[in-house]
Amino acid sequence: MTVTAPPPATAEAAPAAPPADPAPARSRLRAHWRRSRWWLLSVLVLLLVGGLIAGIPGGSVHDPLDPRSGDPHGTRAVDQLLQRHGISSRTASRTDDLAAALRADDTTVVLTYPDELSYQHLAGLSALPRGERTRLVLIAPEQPLLNAFAPGVTASSYAEPTGTAPTPSCTLPEAREAGAVDLGGQSYEGRPGDTACYPVGGRDLLLSRTRGTQQVVVLGNGDPLTNRYLDKEGNAALALGLLGAHPHLVWQTLDQVDHATSTGRPKSLGDHIPDGWYWGTLQLLVAGLLAVAWRARRLGPVLTERLPAVVRASETTEGRARLYRRANARGHAAETLRRAARRRTAAALGLPHTSGDPDPTALLEAAAARLGRPTADLQHLLYGPAPTDDAALLRLANELDDMEWQVRQP
Amino acid sequence: MALTGRTALVAALGALLVGIVLPSWTGVGAVVLPLLAAVAADLVLAAPVRRLTLERSGDPTVRLGEATTVDLLVANPSGRPLRARIRDAWYPSAWAPGTAFTASRHTVTVPAGERRRLTTPLAPTRRGDHHSGKVTVRSLGPLGLAGRQANLDAPWRIRALPPFTSRKHLPSRLARLRELDGRTSVLTRGQGTEFDSLREYLPGDDVRSIDWRASARRSTVAVRTWRPERDRHVLIVLDTGRTSAGRVGDAPRLDAALDAALLLTALATKAGDRVDLLAHDRHRRAAVAGRSPAEVLPAFTDAMALLEPALIETDLRALTSTALRMAPHRSLIVLLTGLDAHQIQEHLLPQVPLLTKRHELVLASVSDPRLDELVHAPRTTVEDVYGAAAAEQTRADRRRTADLLTRRGVTVLDAPPESIAPALSDTYLALKAAGRL
Repeated sequence: MTVTAPPPATAEAAPAAPPADPAPARSRLRAHWRRSRWWLLSVLVLLLVGGLIAGIPGGSVHDPLDPRSGDPHGTRAVDQLLQRHGISSRTASRTDDLAAALRADDTTVVLTYPDELSYQHLAGLSALPRGERTRLVLIAPEQPLLNAFAPGVTASSYAEPTGTAPTPSCTLPEAREAGAVDLGGQSYEGRPGDTACYPVGGRDLLLSRTRGTQQVVVLGNGDPLTNRYLDKEGNAALALGLLGAHPHLVWQTLDQVDHATSTGRPKSLGDHIPDGWYWGTLQLLVAGLLAVAWRARRLGPVLTERLPAVVRASETTEGRARLYRRANARGHAAETLRRAARRRTAAALGLPHTSGDPDPTALLEAAAARLGRPTADLQHLLYGPAPTDDAALLRLANELDDMEWQVRQP
Repeated sequence: MALTGRTALVAALGALLVGIVLPSWTGVGAVVLPLLAAVAADLVLAAPVRRLTLERSGDPTVRLGEATTVDLLVANPSGRPLRARIRDAWYPSAWAPGTAFTASRHTVTVPAGERRRLTTPLAPTRRGDHHSGKVTVRSLGPLGLAGRQANLDAPWRIRALPPFTSRKHLPSRLARLRELDGRTSVLTRGQGTEFDSLREYLPGDDVRSIDWRASARRSTVAVRTWRPERDRHVLIVLDTGRTSAGRVGDAPRLDAALDAALLLTALATKAGDRVDLLAHDRHRRAAVAGRSPAEVLPAFTDAMALLEPALIETDLRALTSTALRMAPHRSLIVLLTGLDAHQIQEHLLPQVPLLTKRHELVLASVSDPRLDELVHAPRTTVEDVYGAAAAEQTRADRRRTADLLTRRGVTVLDAPPESIAPALSDTYLALKAAGRL
């Protein structure tokens, strides 16, 4: 082997070496961008989606035709006008509230979104004995609702507002007072005896049926009542006339209408989850149990083994060191180190080997000659008193070490 | 029986069907009942497990640290093909670290009436016998949804022999042995050597070795050559008690002692001596005696494989009497034990005269390099100083104990684990050269 090719990694790294060069900095930036762009992009998308979700319900808090709403589609204006005329107004969102309102005397009930009621509730509400001197205003009802509250009335096609306000051409006092109104929406055909107003193409946008003191009014749509259109044509007059006939006014509101349960409790999250999810979850649970059965069955038993005890041979020595430390056995430690140093020094100086301690005089003389240090100095080091504190012990230990090292130097 | 992940997966996919198409008990039943039927069919159609026959083969011994394989022959006598997941279970220390899971699992298909060979790789991490566990067979049905499972017996044993890492020292020691031997002329006559042969004088030979009488009978000058004594008896005694359990580096003292014993055995056998082995703590653990030179080393490694250090005090009196029974004539007794001051002074010293009366006694002990580390560590804190003092104390105790033994005619050897084996061999060669065997 004579020539070895340089490793490719080094070759690549070489151009990037000078840090002052702006080109590598830019490429480094680009590398950073390449590495992190997906993260940045996903964070951006997350923020965007979050903002959109947060922004959607901010548009309108109330439903259309809600008397508390100041939106163009709300009806707060007409509600405020009526209250100023001494009419008490409240809202009813739950079925039992509506039922109570229908039973009460001297009351106008506006079903702003009658189609939101379920068949069950519809049947219950229409079967109720209505109070005296009441009026029920249905706004753009579909056929089932008509069958329930105004049997014989049929809903027909939807009529776009023509732009030209239809005229009442009927005997209903409220309509005659209002004159032409800006009305469109669903048109209806009533039975003989019903008062029909605002005809559009042979059908009527407003129907009224009176039984004694109980009146049902069917209105093609709720636009004349809304904040936006209240000041158009005779809308205001019609609205005040229709809703202000009795001292009490009840608006149906949508927010908590319950159509799934008859108890009328507020809907929980669970009511919104389709049935399929529950059954799917049940099936997943079965799958989970099967997975448990799969994982729980081991491929054979666990094997255990007796292992030998692990005892470090130096354990006793290290334990003894800790005991010295705890007992602050400086004297003992110093004497042990000195004895070891004396023995090794004697061996290094070639003094006769003895099994015990070497002869002090001979050792000191030989060491002094070897190191060129005064004998008294070495005497203090090798045979001196025990150190009195930790610093002295540490110093002594290092001095012994140095002395030994010097003796060993050739 | 055992299910597979496929069953759970099918059930989980069934959740889509139940949730979207049939959200009712009918839907759940429509998924679960056919699935259960399929599982039952799988169980019925899976190849029977208990009728399988298993057969093992492979090398029953391995040196510690080396890898080996064990073959498992799976024969399927039934009329149905066997699609199986098989676990060849061994105890944890039989595997190379980290491979226990992957190496033990086999996926195999054995057609009806045929056999297949599975190979399980093993690399024992502990000396001694490694037994196989049960062989677990999970025989899956044709759909792979469920299977029959059973644990079958296929006993096998792998013996992990001592690694004998000091083998690398053997060639140099054999060369030294040949120098002692009469095959080279540098040998000088000495005590304990015996007359080997006469050969022609070559310049450089010691003139004192010229045999004048033989030279007179022939026309050239003849010199006598000498060789060391042969057919001596060496008894290696291993102390497997408490002191041998101490871990030096990452192996117990006993492992280093075994290594030293193996090197000495190999060397002494080559030198023409007979070597016996005794392992003893409170009781006799192993004894190998009277083996022929060719089989002594395998016999020793085999016996040593099973030795484990015991956490009990060695009964040195019983050890001595057993050793004396095994060495009726003059022998070199090599005692591999610890230089534990208390134990040696209390229990071994009274026995030493019995041993040294007729025999040459060598006591070899594995020292702990950690003591040197403690002594030579930089002394920057008081803890360092106390550690050094404690280590010096231990070393002084060992030295004093060794001195006591030396004065009673025992050759004492105290060496760290990596050099105990060559040191013991050198001691043996020195004794042999000195003719003290």
